[in-house]
Amino acid sequence: MATYDFIFNRLGLRNWCGESGDTGDGMTSMAQLLAETSGDDVEMSAWETPFPSMDALHEACPSFPQSRELTSGLESGFLAIKDTLKVVVDPLTQPLSWALNEALWVMQTVPWFIMIPLLMLVSWVVSRQMKLVALVAICFGFLGFVDYYIYTMQTLAIIFVCALSCVVFGVPIGIAMSRSDRVQRTMIPILDMLQTLPPFVYLIPLIFLFSVTEPKLYGIAIILYAIVPVVRLTDLGIRLVDKDVIEAADAFGMSKRQKLFNVQIPLALPNIMAGVNQTIMMSLAMVVIASLVSAPGLGVLVLRGIRSLELGVGLLSGLGIVLLAIILDRVTKAALARINVSQSN
Amino acid sequence: MKNKDIKISIRNLYKIFGSDPKRALQYVKDGMGKIELLEEHKHVLGLKDINVEVPTGKTTVIMGLSGSGKSTLIRHLNRLIEPTAGEVEVAGDNILEYNEKDLRDLRQNKMSMVFQKFALLPHRTVLQNAGLAPSIEGQSERNYSEEARKWLDRVGLQGQADQYPHQLSGGMQQRVGIARALTSNSDIMLMDEAFSALDPLIRTDMQDLLNELQAELQKTIVFITHDLDEALKLADHLVILNDGSVIQQGEPQHILLNPADPYIEDFVSDINRARVLRVRSVMTSLPETQLERSGEIDHEDTLESVIALSEGDTALSYHVMKDGKPVGVLDMRKLVRALVPSEQSKEPESALFGG
Repeated sequence: MATYDFIFNRLGLRNWCGESGDTGDGMTSMAQLLAETSGDDVEMSAWETPFPSMDALHEACPSFPQSRELTSGLESGFLAIKDTLKVVVDPLTQPLSWALNEALWVMQTVPWFIMIPLLMLVSWVVSRQMKLVALVAICFGFLGFVDYYIYTMQTLAIIFVCALSCVVFGVPIGIAMSRSDRVQRTMIPILDMLQTLPPFVYLIPLIFLFSVTEPKLYGIAIILYAIVPVVRLTDLGIRLVDKDVIEAADAFGMSKRQKLFNVQIPLALPNIMAGVNQTIMMSLAMVVIASLVSAPGLGVLVLRGIRSLELGVGLLSGLGIVLLAIILDRVTKAALARINVSQSN
Repeated sequence: MKNKDIKISIRNLYKIFGSDPKRALQYVKDGMGKIELLEEHKHVLGLKDINVEVPTGKTTVIMGLSGSGKSTLIRHLNRLIEPTAGEVEVAGDNILEYNEKDLRDLRQNKMSMVFQKFALLPHRTVLQNAGLAPSIEGQSERNYSEEARKWLDRVGLQGQADQYPHQLSGGMQQRVGIARALTSNSDIMLMDEAFSALDPLIRTDMQDLLNELQAELQKTIVFITHDLDEALKLADHLVILNDGSVIQQGEPQHILLNPADPYIEDFVSDINRARVLRVRSVMTSLPETQLERSGEIDHEDTLESVIALSEGDTALSYHVMKDGKPVGVLDMRKLVRALVPSEQSKEPESALFGG
């Protein structure tokens, strides 16, 4: 006799259940196995009444599904729609694979004596600070010196493509959210979910959907994880634009479009740039995890450190990621500061 | 009723804020008051049956305390706020029938606005801010810069064109706001508490500047203020608003001497009447017999200047001249009587101040 027999008896579902209290099908729970090995049906006290879970109810009624049937149902459900989903998603995301492949190829093909000065030049153009240029030179010099140059460039290539995609998709989504409360209400739970879902969880359905050899697999995972801040801060930035200035723009007859491009976006730029900074930092965090699904770069070395307990490799590549994070953070923040200076109130 | 002298006319304008203003409008038309409407139907009565005619080329000042609906009213003139009921006619056109394109045209070319908090674009230079109107129409900075510089110079901002707004003081920022309105070359200027955020000395400067500009340009100005001194200094036509209704409108001197109700009496009692009242408002017409007069004064002189001239002697009386011809006489005793508000002596406790 199982604890919850009475439920099915009361509801008159006994016939639907089949044999009472006896498990005739193939799936056997651990508890049942234990009960079988101990030999006799133990009389349970009220203190040990089990939670009316799927498994407990299954014990009382064999037709009731077990919890593992729920998870396997989810899996087979996903597998059933997988092919259709793939037909739609595959071509849509193909450009991401190309972009990642191209970026990786370029970053690895251009020789170091061109690439490092180029990166220094970029940081000069963006920040106009000699100090930052020196920092960039020292960090890349160090990473090259310890033979991590190629890995660093791979990581940088991935971040470049993914952060750029985040901005390209995130800013328009943020603008749409700022213009309509309904869009904002629907987007916020999605953003919350993307932000709190453990990063590993993104990877599981993506592995089913795409082949592990395709770069878009980790590209999508990184973008989904890192797009949140730029969307949120674009929305916030545009909503925070001074109402009086918007009113003045209306009073002088600006069209909606002119208002967006000449007033709202320029005035929201400090917030948007703060979002871009956060997005870059988050894609850097995700690029390490993405190495589990064949993303190249410094993450691979971290993974090697864990897998084969190579402490030195793990620590050094971890340091490399920190250096990369510092450079990216300082350079984007310097750009942000330059914007702020030009329109501080 | 096509009158060439009337630029903007507002007729039977109502504005009710809330979820169902049309239904609430019926209650108001049936005589429900502001407080009742708020308590029973959760609707706010913003404006109630406003009828105002704004004369062409003159300064019309709409005055009221905060919450009187004056800022709401001025925003109806360029439809930043849509009315619940009523008509707004600008140069003979009912602007409530305008579509989006007409409305943008109205705002770009026929009306400009100056704001209390300046509302300049912080990421643009002073020159680019002044040239906002032409830039909205798609003109390049090179095209509009001459016009914009002209008006920046006119409002006293020579050599500041390449600064950013945050580098300027409040008074200078509002000068940019005025230059921005003038550069649009519109006939009508709406000024929403334009000088209220400035400190008193700068405010006086700005009022003088506006009077000077107005003498030169004769724009149709609608000026909002809560300050009676400012209203009397600028107004050709004064509209007093309280709790969303017009309680008196007309020539400022006339309102000052003949307040329509205790609320306005209270308002005007604190005014330096000698500085505001003019000879023409208190003079008597020319008598039959020509008596000996102590001197000649102009009909636009303030009473303050006449007192200074007479050195306080109440026995004197003067010829009042207009364009070199005598138009009346002013007895000093009558002048002194005009300085005392009519109700002050009778009812000192008439404080019905709404606050």
